[in-house]
Amino acid sequence: MQLFLFLICIFDTMQIELKQIVPIPLKDKFSQRNSDVWNQTVLFQHGEWIKIKAPSGTGKTTFIHTLYKLRHDYSGQVFYDDQEIKNISGDALAQIRQQKISVVFQDLRLFPNLTARENIELKRVLQSPFYDAAIIDEMAAKLGVANILNQRAGLCSYGEQQRIAIIRALIQPFEWLFLDEPFSHLDHENISKASALIAEECSKRKAGFILTDLDEDAHFNYSKYLQL
Amino acid sequence: MLNSLLKKLIKTASGRTRFVMAIIGMSVALLLILSAVQIQIDYDDLLYSKTNQDSIANFLVVNKILNNKTYGTATFKEEDLNKLKQQNFIEDVGILTPSRFKASIQSYSDRFPFYTDISFESVPAAFIDVNSKDWKWKEGDNFIPMIAPNMFLDIYNFQFSLSQNLPQLTQDIVKMIVFKVNINTDKGSVSFNGKIVGFSDRISSLLVPQEFNDWANQHFSNTQNAKPSRVVIRTKDPGNPALVQYLKDNGLTTDADKTRFSKYRQIVNAIVNVSWITGAVMLLFALLVFTLFIQLTIASCKEEIQLLITLGASPKQLQRFLMKQFFPSNIIIIIISLIAITVLQFEAHQLLQEQNIFVSTFTSYYTFATAFVILLVLWFVNYRTIRKYIAVQDK
Repeated sequence: MQLFLFLICIFDTMQIELKQIVPIPLKDKFSQRNSDVWNQTVLFQHGEWIKIKAPSGTGKTTFIHTLYKLRHDYSGQVFYDDQEIKNISGDALAQIRQQKISVVFQDLRLFPNLTARENIELKRVLQSPFYDAAIIDEMAAKLGVANILNQRAGLCSYGEQQRIAIIRALIQPFEWLFLDEPFSHLDHENISKASALIAEECSKRKAGFILTDLDEDAHFNYSKYLQL
Repeated sequence: MLNSLLKKLIKTASGRTRFVMAIIGMSVALLLILSAVQIQIDYDDLLYSKTNQDSIANFLVVNKILNNKTYGTATFKEEDLNKLKQQNFIEDVGILTPSRFKASIQSYSDRFPFYTDISFESVPAAFIDVNSKDWKWKEGDNFIPMIAPNMFLDIYNFQFSLSQNLPQLTQDIVKMIVFKVNINTDKGSVSFNGKIVGFSDRISSLLVPQEFNDWANQHFSNTQNAKPSRVVIRTKDPGNPALVQYLKDNGLTTDADKTRFSKYRQIVNAIVNVSWITGAVMLLFALLVFTLFIQLTIASCKEEIQLLITLGASPKQLQRFLMKQFFPSNIIIIIISLIAITVLQFEAHQLLQEQNIFVSTFTSYYTFATAFVILLVLWFVNYRTIRKYIAVQDK
């Protein structure tokens, strides 16, 4: 029986469903315009590569934080599979963040006093490692940040930190990757390197991602476009 | 690897002095509590162990103090006896019945002649520590077994025999001598054969079986049913201060030597109580400081802990890490305290041995058990505190 449940856990990959989500602080603002997401029922199926386009101030970060269960000030419901996320907490939530959902925050959220490598390593060993430690160097080389791996993250430029945050998100197992304006401080060349790496890692895991950004782009073969 | 990264993020260094104070306080507290347990056990050892206890210890012959005030009334009334029996430190009370007739014993042998007037006492068999198959008498028997105090033989061997130029006698030789017992009263005279069947330290008079004494008192005594003037009591602990106080309050007296532990015992009790109460209070305060230290550490790393949880560190992982940071110091304190107690115990053993007081060389199991219980309490307090404050950050 336990083995059966275990197999279900492995093969039954996660989908995310939103039901009439409206952030309470932005309620009045949203009621005046149409959105594909706010106050709608939306289903993100496993493996979908989703682009969410939104102008400034329309709640991209609020949206990502709501999905990641960092804020609770909204009406409506968010489901991971058939479990409402307001009911998931503590060790169970940690389990999901270690195994199923990875994230690149807009404000990056690195530990400034740890080196770049330590920031990535921490996420690698938080669960039983998905990759060997050597993969950190490989990924860093691909994104051109190999030379700053042993530098304190607080001393790295914002662009470097952004790439470290991307590697940190890719070093763990996941079924969904949330990307909140992940390329905001990268030039074209670095964006294409980073998006290639993200696409490669998502394909490898058969994982989906939800990317928010200001403008249209052609970095990925998106399977769904939504307007926030 | 995770732990070494967490160690960089969650610094336990803040408030180092507070931590050191908590540790010192806890060490002293533990030392006091554990010494209290060990001292109590050592003292109990002294009281009840075989090497320090003899057969007289549990039996006390008690009589009323005889002075000008009590002259002629120093006997036990029925209510006196009942009151004695009701005391919880007295397990049993036996009445010593004196013989109330004139008697003498004399030797059959010309080579070893002796004659003396004598009186007997008897006591219920349960109070006698001599096991002899000869210790019985029924009406019509000509043979009377007797139990003599060791003291009698000592007086004979080490004083009397020397002054009279008589041979010294061992217990075994005395037990072989059959002598004549005469009862001479105006109600008649009768002779028996007597023999010593055993020696005792418990009651310092010549004992005959209760049956014989009752029979002889009935037939040859002029005073019937005289009140007893001495009783023997059985008690678990003749050093019990309550017993000593009771005897004092009721104008009773006994062999003071047997109750000498009472005074020491009060002192030891006082030391033990002060020690463990101080220890307990100190432990309480040390625990409080320690708890505050844990709380402070978690609060000062609030942002790091929140980001760790955001990134997917489980509260359980963080608790485990923090337990590893805080709890080992408790184990070390306990081990150091136990080592200190063991050294002190060994020193005490050496020191007291010179004064012929024997306490164990090693620390008692009870002390280790107490240390273990305290360790469990510490673990629980650590665990609860960490759990509580991590949960606060997780909100």
